Amino acid sequence: MRVLAAADVGRMILKGGSARVPEPLPAKFAPGDRVLARNVNPVGHTRLPRYVRGRRGVVDRDHGVFVFPDTHAAGLGTKPQHVYSVRFAARELWGPDASPRDAIYVDLWDDYLDPDGDR
Amino acid sequence: MSGGHGHDHDDEYTAPLGETQLRVKALESLLTEKGLVDPQALAALIDLYETRVGPRNGARVVARAWVDPAYRKRLLDNASAAIAEFGFTGRQGEDMVVLENTPRVHNMVVCTLCSCYPWPVLGLPPVWYKSPPYRSRAVLDPRGVLKEFGVALADDVEVRVWDSTAEVRYLVLPERPPGTEGLHEDELAALVTRDSMIGVGRPKAPERRPR
Repeated sequence: MRVLAAADVGRMILKGGSARVPEPLPAKFAPGDRVLARNVNPVGHTRLPRYVRGRRGVVDRDHGVFVFPDTHAAGLGTKPQHVYSVRFAARELWGPDASPRDAIYVDLWDDYLDPDGDR
Repeated sequence: MSGGHGHDHDDEYTAPLGETQLRVKALESLLTEKGLVDPQALAALIDLYETRVGPRNGARVVARAWVDPAYRKRLLDNASAAIAEFGFTGRQGEDMVVLENTPRVHNMVVCTLCSCYPWPVLGLPPVWYKSPPYRSRAVLDPRGVLKEFGVALADDVEVRVWDSTAEVRYLVLPERPPGTEGLHEDELAALVTRDSMIGVGRPKAPERRPR
């Protein structure tokens, strides 16, 4: 096992390590698309917050292709896919008492999303 | 880990350590004895985040964006590259997005799943940012949270809460305070607070200059 040496600390920290994957994979969604966050309840690691499961939002922007944490954390491979910032209206998440103007933006992978076919 | 804090009370020198501190010390000793951790590397890591990486970095980015429209555009178009112009790169800042506050839109940042935070520009996150109350209430009642931080917003301002659940890290570009027209970039940077770059505060007002 490699041990981090004091002389390497600065370089290691400043270099970092992105989870971005330089593969031109096709995106399932585009900015402006209406999407539905899947209502799934995996037992293992996921970055799909419970408060958006089953809720409707709109794709704000495409961040590009990243390692998929659900499979990566389980040792099942990196399964690279697009990550989007999805805009959820505060009222969609919290009901009529929430502000009509406010919104929550959540970063979600392709596998967390379905097209919102109801609208 | 070694702490360098000064203490006001004598009993703090003799009182037994808390459970977490003891656990950390035991782990550090074990890892060092087994040769898995170099204590000098730990000291270098702590020194890096105490003296070189912190919110003063982000403040320089914000001040540059206030005085240089071309830089502001680069920052909003490709934040990672524009921030790297200062040499602020690395862990937890590999993929950055900057969110611009305007008179109509107020942005604030949270990580509801844990404590994701843009280290190269803001340093390590404050305790409240990692606390369950902030993480749950920032998305559920952002205006209430902002009010407690002293930020009152008119009803016609849109609040956008950014939950950094994935690999992107967010930095808020706050509005430049009024009355700062004549200030230099360094003077402006001194007005930029950590909280204003998380989106739970505003930059400081400029001191009135003596005539």
